[in-house]
Amino acid sequence: MIQINDLNFAYPRQQSLFTNLSMHLEAGSITGLLGKNGAGKTTLLKLLTGQLHPKSGEVDVHNHDPRKREVSMLNNVFFVPEEFYFPTIMISDYIKIYSPLYPNFDLILMRNTLTEFDLRDDCNLHRLSYGQKKKFLIAFTLATRCRLLILDEPTNGLDIPSKSVFRKILAGSLDENQLVIISTHQVKDVENLIDKIIILDSGKVIFHQTIAEISQQVCFVSGASDEVEGAIYSEAIPGGYRTLMPKGLTETEVDIELLFNAIIKGKKIT
Amino acid sequence: MESGNIFSLQRFMLLLEQSFTINKKHLGVTITALTGIFFIILGLSQSAAHFQGWTQSNSLITFELFFFSFGIVYASFAFPAFRTKEKTMSYLMLPVSALEKFTFEFLTRIVAFILFMPLLFWVVANLEGFIVHHFVPELVNYKFSFFTAWAELNNHNPVKGWTLFGYIQTALFAFIAAFTGASHFSRAPLMKTIATFSIIQVTGILFIYILYKVLNLKEVDYSINHILFIRGKDYAVVFYSLFVLAVNLSLLSIAWFSLKEKEA
Repeated sequence: MIQINDLNFAYPRQQSLFTNLSMHLEAGSITGLLGKNGAGKTTLLKLLTGQLHPKSGEVDVHNHDPRKREVSMLNNVFFVPEEFYFPTIMISDYIKIYSPLYPNFDLILMRNTLTEFDLRDDCNLHRLSYGQKKKFLIAFTLATRCRLLILDEPTNGLDIPSKSVFRKILAGSLDENQLVIISTHQVKDVENLIDKIIILDSGKVIFHQTIAEISQQVCFVSGASDEVEGAIYSEAIPGGYRTLMPKGLTETEVDIELLFNAIIKGKKIT
Repeated sequence: MESGNIFSLQRFMLLLEQSFTINKKHLGVTITALTGIFFIILGLSQSAAHFQGWTQSNSLITFELFFFSFGIVYASFAFPAFRTKEKTMSYLMLPVSALEKFTFEFLTRIVAFILFMPLLFWVVANLEGFIVHHFVPELVNYKFSFFTAWAELNNHNPVKGWTLFGYIQTALFAFIAAFTGASHFSRAPLMKTIATFSIIQVTGILFIYILYKVLNLKEVDYSINHILFIRGKDYAVVFYSLFVLAVNLSLLSIAWFSLKEKEA
């Protein structure tokens, strides 16, 4: 579904951001794209959607070269950027004039999601708060039923109830032909959603595993001390320590934040 | 929705509908403002000419001033999505082909303007003339016709053939240059376009100056009749018209590739 081979990219008058980056992603997963600030997450998403052009290498999205921005690719890819623009029109008008561009648009899902997010379709988009606009954009994104959904910091600006609604709707509305890539720093917001983790650092993929693969190798424990025998990585939390251990007898939920910090600090989990 | 990647009439019509839904209020306000401006300016100009001295060619000159100044400004607002990063991203991701986007901008920013502005002016000029004539009978030439005014302006010598073609290409150049600038520059496109063409023009003038003054080309016994195929005024007009046509087509190609290769 997405194939990247030997991708090289640099912004003008800057050092190379990606050097020979390769990656393969298949449909049917919600992939978390993690990385420190400036690691190249948003740039990678823009390269996947044809908004930026690589210096060399190959990017293939649904058998399309994103640089060409062909309609048959664009009507199956939806990108939710961190900062976005809406025209000054009503929600109902927006749906009426933009939904026909997406062949699989699901109007029922759109209506249901708007109701869940507490948005009325007679509201003018321009008068909504940032969080409300974001909720509308997420609702529209899911309703397009595009084969590739790319969400850059989707929970930024959402209030606490909306974050749970977002998780519920995203988990319930996808099918196995869709691939969702979520780039975020708010890992707690998407912890139970994502089933694959990619970590980018200094323009390289330094980690790429499914949650199931991670669970088979490590476990995450809390305790009063950081001096646990065999610990891979440990860090202080209020009231004690959180430790990443090789897998023992018990299986624990993956603590993405701890895992991310361990990987970024060069720890190996295999 | 049709899935062709080059051009779909259905998608193009949807693009028109989107633009109309988003800009209908703005469009209404602009037409009303233009009507008011034409009305007031024509009235003031006729008054300054003491009404009886007003001719149809005066109305045409007034029209030409507005046609070019508004047209250049309006064309410089083409590709409005390129003014901000957020709008650019949204525009580039819209599942509409580059040809549909380009055609839409060209038709709405240049063709529609060229067709609509004379119509609006003709309506306002006749309406204004009729109203003013009702109160000020000294205004004798209160009816306006483009054909009569054009003939009057050219002393009833019809402009045709390559000369007319040259006029049309020169007029189009003004709009196409502003249109191309809007596709290429994100911020202050009109100012940057004017600056760019000024630099090109100054460079050309400097080149001719160097040829004639510094290199003393004027001292060379070199008849204009020997320059390429230009053998007299008629050939010069043909050369000029074709040159401006080539410039216009080149500018449109630049606008096309600016859209096609745009990055967010």
